[in-house]
Amino acid sequence: MGVGRSARGRGGAASGVLLALAAALLAAGSASEYDYVSFQSDIGSYQSGRFYTKPPQCVDIPVDLRLCHNVGYKKMVLPNLLEHETMAEVKQQASSWVPLLNKNCHMGTQVFLCSLFAPVCLDRPIYPCRWLCEAVRDSCEPVMQFFGFYWPEMLKCDKFPEGDVCIAMTPPNTTEASKPQGTTVCPPCDNELKSEAIIEHLCASEFALRMKIKEVKKENGDKKIVPKKKKPLKLGPIKKKELKRLVLFLKNGADCPCHQLDNLSHNFLIMGRKVKSQYLLTAIHKWDKKNKEFKNFMKRMKNHECPTFQSVFK
Amino acid sequence: MNVPLGGIWLWLPLLLTWLTPEVSSSWWYMRATGGSSRVMCDNVPGLVSRQRQLCHRHPDVMRAIGLGVAEWTAECQHQFRQHRWNCNTLDRDHSLFGRVLLRSSRESAFVYAISSAGVVFAITRACSQGELKSCSCDPKKKGSAKDSKGTFDWGGCSDNIDYGIKFARAFVDAKERKGKDARALMNLHNNRAGRKAVKRFLKQECKCHGVSGSCTLRTCWLAMADFRKTGDYLWRKYNGAIQVVMNQDGTGFTVANKRFKKPTKNDLVYFENSPDYCIRDREAGSLGTAGRVCNLTSRGMDSCEVMCCGRGYDTSHVTRMTKCECKFHWCCAVRCQDCLEALDVHTCKAPKSADWATPT
Repeated sequence: MGVGRSARGRGGAASGVLLALAAALLAAGSASEYDYVSFQSDIGSYQSGRFYTKPPQCVDIPVDLRLCHNVGYKKMVLPNLLEHETMAEVKQQASSWVPLLNKNCHMGTQVFLCSLFAPVCLDRPIYPCRWLCEAVRDSCEPVMQFFGFYWPEMLKCDKFPEGDVCIAMTPPNTTEASKPQGTTVCPPCDNELKSEAIIEHLCASEFALRMKIKEVKKENGDKKIVPKKKKPLKLGPIKKKELKRLVLFLKNGADCPCHQLDNLSHNFLIMGRKVKSQYLLTAIHKWDKKNKEFKNFMKRMKNHECPTFQSVFK
Repeated sequence: MNVPLGGIWLWLPLLLTWLTPEVSSSWWYMRATGGSSRVMCDNVPGLVSRQRQLCHRHPDVMRAIGLGVAEWTAECQHQFRQHRWNCNTLDRDHSLFGRVLLRSSRESAFVYAISSAGVVFAITRACSQGELKSCSCDPKKKGSAKDSKGTFDWGGCSDNIDYGIKFARAFVDAKERKGKDARALMNLHNNRAGRKAVKRFLKQECKCHGVSGSCTLRTCWLAMADFRKTGDYLWRKYNGAIQVVMNQDGTGFTVANKRFKKPTKNDLVYFENSPDYCIRDREAGSLGTAGRVCNLTSRGMDSCEVMCCGRGYDTSHVTRMTKCECKFHWCCAVRCQDCLEALDVHTCKAPKSADWATPT
């Protein structure tokens, strides 16, 4: 930082002025809850990667950015801290994280993810605290693995700061309430029956089927689900000829409860994705036409278009 | 830095000073001209016919080059910030900067290299930003490809650095190719080293945009790194610059000192040893170090002993308000304490009056 000589010879008067300025700054600092304090005007540090792309802008968090629209602040910086350059790109990439949010694997999941997907508008980027990243990762990656996912490169914790200027909702020394004892439900079976949540899940899944189940067996630590009758709603990676002999797996789910499978006489809405040569179940709902939310989902499914990355990025 | 379009006229004199070390012309009247490329190009003294031709044909590229001057100048000043000669263009008489370039010193070698690199950088960036009619993103970067991590799609905008290098070479080197003397050959060599330095830091960048951020789907592009990397690289080349002389038949260089290696295409070359830059010397383009801030605890070039050339320094006591103990508060503010910081600032003394000083 450059050193000026402006105070030379007038230290006393200068100190007085500076102290008055300090008082004004402190008063301004406590003015409001939404206080976008400029502690350093260094807009250049927002530019990473494509450092000469368009300058960062402070924009409203749209209602349909479902990952972050209720996070606790209303505006975000675009491009964000994951180098997503358009709001369409942000929405597309954020959409696959909404189902994880609904799993409630850690109370800080949304704050952590949104600090990167929809960063708060300050003069310089504020990254999530490393401890928050590690806490969310340690709690949520086991859940992600039920769906065949691992903690991605872009969220690696060692790139985040350990100091005080970092984002966290609670101070690090607060002890979290321990999780309730007892067997946890298989994550793909732990779903909220809300039409919006089902739509999000549909978009995040590679395939979706309406089907009846013949039997459920244990195999290599997974639950193996053998269909009886199936109708594709979204084929994705499933080839037509594969559909005939399709078998689904509830990954690592041999011993966790899945209440939807207690009664196999119903039709089910099944969503999943392909990992290597296995078709993994990512969500299951009873096909219940009498349920208001489910009926709402079926109506919305006809018109809803999932965001697609290709059209966004090219 | 976001320079307004009109700001090009503020920087054009520096560009022209660099292009034409002869310091006989003033650029003040350029402010008055409009956007006409004819007037702009024809009124710049020192442009050779090839440069004037390119200027008329590509006014948008000229604008990009003009805007880029601030960037390589700032980089030069950053690298020389602790040196006696600090690449200062803020002297009220721009001619001093131009005079440094008249001497075939290693400082001159650095300036030619960094400015040439700056032109490549400015053109390539303007290309990627869609500001130039005659170029766009690298057209070869399309479709799918493979690297050590698997397959990926080319996407985004790959920097078309070959276009930037080609245009920079045509424009910057045009003047040097007119002459066949030793200085022209030195400039051609150092310009080329600067251009190659930018390409050295072209790297592949990728976005992982599979589900949940997985890298099963990747889109990649080629991007120039921050110009600081080029500046740091050329700084190392400046420190290892090689003194040369013309060979017998005048076609190239040979090392001045036989014990040193021959220069490669990446090395900077120079002919003349540098002045010490201690006192103001118009002929040498030296501002002198009187009034420069120096570092009492340093052992490097910015130490008071070295920076002040043994003349001694003055100390003043300065206090200033700084932000400290910053914390992020939910939601959403960063709040800091205000701290009063007291420090000593040391500045070099001016040379003593000449009339009674004993010559050394």
